[in-house]
Amino acid sequence: MGGVKKIGEPKRLFSSTWSRYLLNVLSAALLCLALVYLSVSRAITPYTSSLIVQIGYNIILAVSLNLAAGFLGQLPLGHAGFMSVGAYAAALFTKSMDLPAMLEFPIAIALGGVVAFLFGIVIGLPALRLRGDYLAIITLGFAEIIRVIINNLEFTGGAIGLRGIPRHSTIAWSFVWVFVTIYAISTLIRSRHGRAILSIREDEIAAEASGISTTYYKVIAFAISAAFAGVAGGLYAHTTILLPSNFGFMKSAEILVMVVLGGLGSILGSVISATVLTILPELLRGFKEYRMIVYALVLILVMIFKPSGLCGRYDFSLGSGIDRVFAAIRAKILGKGGNAK
Amino acid sequence: MTVLDIHNLGINFGGLQAVDEFNLAVESGEIVGLIGPNGAGKTTIFNLLTNVYKPSRGSIRLTDEDTLGKSTHAVAQSGIARTFQNIRLFKDMTVIDNVKVALHNGMRYTIAEAFFRMPRYWREERKARKTALELLDVLGMRDMADHTAGSLPYGAQRRLEIVRALATNPKVLLLDEPAAGMNPSETAELLPTLKDIRDRFGVAIILIEHDMSLVMNICERILVLNYGLIIAEGTPEEIKNNPVVIEAYLGQQRGE
Repeated sequence: MGGVKKIGEPKRLFSSTWSRYLLNVLSAALLCLALVYLSVSRAITPYTSSLIVQIGYNIILAVSLNLAAGFLGQLPLGHAGFMSVGAYAAALFTKSMDLPAMLEFPIAIALGGVVAFLFGIVIGLPALRLRGDYLAIITLGFAEIIRVIINNLEFTGGAIGLRGIPRHSTIAWSFVWVFVTIYAISTLIRSRHGRAILSIREDEIAAEASGISTTYYKVIAFAISAAFAGVAGGLYAHTTILLPSNFGFMKSAEILVMVVLGGLGSILGSVISATVLTILPELLRGFKEYRMIVYALVLILVMIFKPSGLCGRYDFSLGSGIDRVFAAIRAKILGKGGNAK
Repeated sequence: MTVLDIHNLGINFGGLQAVDEFNLAVESGEIVGLIGPNGAGKTTIFNLLTNVYKPSRGSIRLTDEDTLGKSTHAVAQSGIARTFQNIRLFKDMTVIDNVKVALHNGMRYTIAEAFFRMPRYWREERKARKTALELLDVLGMRDMADHTAGSLPYGAQRRLEIVRALATNPKVLLLDEPAAGMNPSETAELLPTLKDIRDRFGVAIILIEHDMSLVMNICERILVLNYGLIIAEGTPEEIKNNPVVIEAYLGQQRGE
């Protein structure tokens, strides 16, 4: 963390912090370019491309919920509520604006995030006085309230849904927002604010006794988590028609399943499980109605054999991963001595 | 100079007077022992001082600052740090991160500065790491810095709690049974360590402890509590020979 070398570890190739950051940004940019190239060159069908966008916003949803559930250690069940707030805010913005897509889309998404952030604070303040099951119930209640209100408002299109939203969500954009989300949350966790959030998960009484304002950090972490749900909502809004019924309890539960399956407190786990759980139902379309059984079976098996989730609390850092590979190669070539320096 | 001035402190839990008429003035750099049988109200006093419980009456002044209406984390920020009788570490975090959590309020950078990794972030993080390692060094834990706190042996966990409390830069340190569960040699090591901490940081220490060898050797003043009331106060010598204290601990002699 922070590029500080641990004592007694072999010297690494990317030992300076800046080279690690550069490496991470470069590889993310490369991956993005590759995906964009694939979509432009028509090597992938529109179906696959829409699936990739779907994976994108599901990753954002899972990673953001992981901040509240895995790092803060609370159990909110209303993530779909924040997603819908962000989705409607972003969609109404692009519908009313007449700007070039390159300009209006990022503003719309950011707006979705900000509005969801504000909702997160307003709902978090009363809700976070509770914990455990009670917090789950109250956040579930708030999400339902949001859904019912949207269902009955004029300007949101009501139950018929909000139509005619420009299809701005491309692979490239969803990749950018996934990158922003993961970057923001992992840098947050590796800072004094992140340590404060983790300490609340570990022991709230001790955190308070160490001078951490637990109320402040609970609300802030909850609101940041909500903000990125809003970002995901914004992405989702620009792929389809917005229907309030799509933001019900089942959506919240689906996101929570992704987080728990991937491992509470592991960003890598959230990314993997969001990807797998988005693709799986599509792959299983051949099984028709049996596919939900397979889906459920996968969940049950993982929970039996790896209750802490696929990755537990393990997280992956690209820099150190590549380092390890290089260190292994050097060790192979130079024998044991190559590692010692 | 008086750092902590407690006047007529008391709390009721329903009909039970858990603590009553508790008066104590602690000088800076003083080590005060708080002893008494189980259930006498010793830990309750710590909880009152840190505002985990709201006192029913009385006043607490930390150098001229009234800490009574403050929340627990604000009390910690103004200079009262504590350890816990049943260890409360951040078990899944590393040793050094445990200390850094307590350094939180001494660090100055915003969430936005952390997002963008601004120069101040690096500067403050480097400084915090250095301070944390120095503090760990005081209790001989520097080489454990990167271990997970929960994996430490029991004695080390107790010491880490002390380091974490010190990291909030306290004026008064409340230690709740620091020697509980330690073996005799660990307890013996604790004695010079606590004196060292007092001298180095100039903190006043209030100590709850059942290990009499430790209490009698380290404390300049001892308060004995029973049923929430102070029954005796004095130097270790005076306390040892006080018949009221002996009675509270061992009961009355038959036929007396």
